[in-house]
Amino acid sequence: MGVSSVARSAQSSLDLQYFSRFLRRNFYWIPLLVFTVWSLLPIIWSISASFKGAIDVYASPRLIPEHPTLDNYVRVFTYPNFSRYLFNSLFLSLTSTVLAVAVSSLAAYSFARYNFRLRNVLLVAILIPRILPRASLIVPLYRMVEQAGLLDTYIALIIAYTATAIPFATWILTGFFVAVPKELEEAAATDGASMWQRIRHIVLPIAVPGLVTVAVFSLREAWNEFPFVLALTTSSEIRTLPYQLFLLRDAIGIQDWPLLNAFTIVTILPILLLYLRFERNIVSGITQGALK
Amino acid sequence: MASRTASTPRARRSQGVWANPVLPYLLTAPAILFVGGVLGYAVVSGFVTSLYKVEVWSIEQPFVGFDNYLDLFQDDKFINSLTRSFIFVFGTIAIGFFLSLGFALVLSQVRVARGLFRGIALIPYLVSGIATAVMWRFLFVGSNSLINHITTALGFGTVSWLGDPTNALIVVILANVWFISPFATLILLAGLQTIDNELYEAASIDGARWHQQFIHITLPAIMPMIALSMMWLSFASFNMFDIILPLTGGGPGRATEVLAVYMYQLAFRSLDYSGASAVMMVLLVINLTFSVVYLRIFRER
Repeated sequence: MGVSSVARSAQSSLDLQYFSRFLRRNFYWIPLLVFTVWSLLPIIWSISASFKGAIDVYASPRLIPEHPTLDNYVRVFTYPNFSRYLFNSLFLSLTSTVLAVAVSSLAAYSFARYNFRLRNVLLVAILIPRILPRASLIVPLYRMVEQAGLLDTYIALIIAYTATAIPFATWILTGFFVAVPKELEEAAATDGASMWQRIRHIVLPIAVPGLVTVAVFSLREAWNEFPFVLALTTSSEIRTLPYQLFLLRDAIGIQDWPLLNAFTIVTILPILLLYLRFERNIVSGITQGALK
Repeated sequence: MASRTASTPRARRSQGVWANPVLPYLLTAPAILFVGGVLGYAVVSGFVTSLYKVEVWSIEQPFVGFDNYLDLFQDDKFINSLTRSFIFVFGTIAIGFFLSLGFALVLSQVRVARGLFRGIALIPYLVSGIATAVMWRFLFVGSNSLINHITTALGFGTVSWLGDPTNALIVVILANVWFISPFATLILLAGLQTIDNELYEAASIDGARWHQQFIHITLPAIMPMIALSMMWLSFASFNMFDIILPLTGGGPGRATEVLAVYMYQLAFRSLDYSGASAVMMVLLVINLTFSVVYLRIFRER
């Protein structure tokens, strides 16, 4: 295409072009609004129902409840064994996250710093299981745990959660550790700093955004986890909040939607708050990690 | 040259820092143990189980080779769940990809409160699968549900969303898109933010219209991210379990019984561990094929 023809076609559609540019520059908020409503509607509708009474929830579809009540939340927190389920969820999420971050940090440090013979083999061996779907593992895992006599124990779930969190954590952390200049550590080493001192005082402080990203994602995975706790536990002693929510939803008879919605909001709130607190950090952590 | 740099004492010592033959193995050992001992062992033992006839009521566990796989492919229920899985995955990719691309494009244009909207975009991904299923069930089930109020107001009357096989599949796909596409949005947004704005300015000066800019600048630049986001969408959907079990339980009939749900029913309802292990291997092979195909397409570009 010649320069003149480009110029001519540009001229003939000049008005249209300005118009479309104006649209693009200023009307992005129409699709933005649609997308935002799409993202938030199920949650907002659930929050609304969680403040409604049994009659209101089946009456007209009002977003703001006619007779708002906290009764459903009272019923959630006084639900039999609720504190036990809450404790189990917290305990399993925290222990598996601490373990996964510790184990992955060591591996990531090794991959980021040392050039050893089996480095690439081991790196692939740890990263490939990222594509192993959690649900697909429940059958062999159930049989392994059953044979080891570890059904209905914390330890089985902690090991399973830690193992599934490590591939992603190692991947992200290796990227962050590589970005810490080697020279900083070399200078510290000449001054006599040991490896643990260098990790603690140089590498980890610089890689804090990566550690936060990995910790939040691992907490999210464990807090929301369902297939493993479904397959590996039957006792209510070990039951977590999502599992109890599943059982509530599975109950026969007319569903108690106000209670179900209040229970749902209570289980998703901790991760939402954690995420909102670290949002900027996590998004950049993931995109940086993914681009490396 | 190397010997000359290494001859200064400082360089020699700093090289010595990274020259430990055993330490790197010790550092990676715990991670290898966890990943190999749990995930690796699970895959191997799943494969071995799929070659035997394991039955809970019988002590003998005869080796049957690939018989379990042959049985599977003659089983209508397995073929049904394979078909349902593919509909579910392609439905999710078709809707989820365009939704996340649209969302990412809009987010990259936002100038006011960008962080807030980006944060909102990722929120569904933080909710658990069970919570997603409960919230979506609440939106659709019963004549008093929000969606049925809307369809009634629009003159379509009350629709049986979860009682009808096709509608139930649509609802499950929509819930899945809602749940997993935020991560695809994030990947695509990361790609869009790496594009140099001067490219667009130069193209506008040359008279390129927005759709030409989109096809010739935007798309080629984010091709790797497109491959990555599609890979994410197909992986996450192929193995989706958390949403379907509480939302429809695989029903009505077997309309939403995708592979992962079928495998669970086979193992924990019918106690057929061999059959379930064979389904697991089929799932893994499909996943592997998907990733190889995506990487091929992506590498050819």
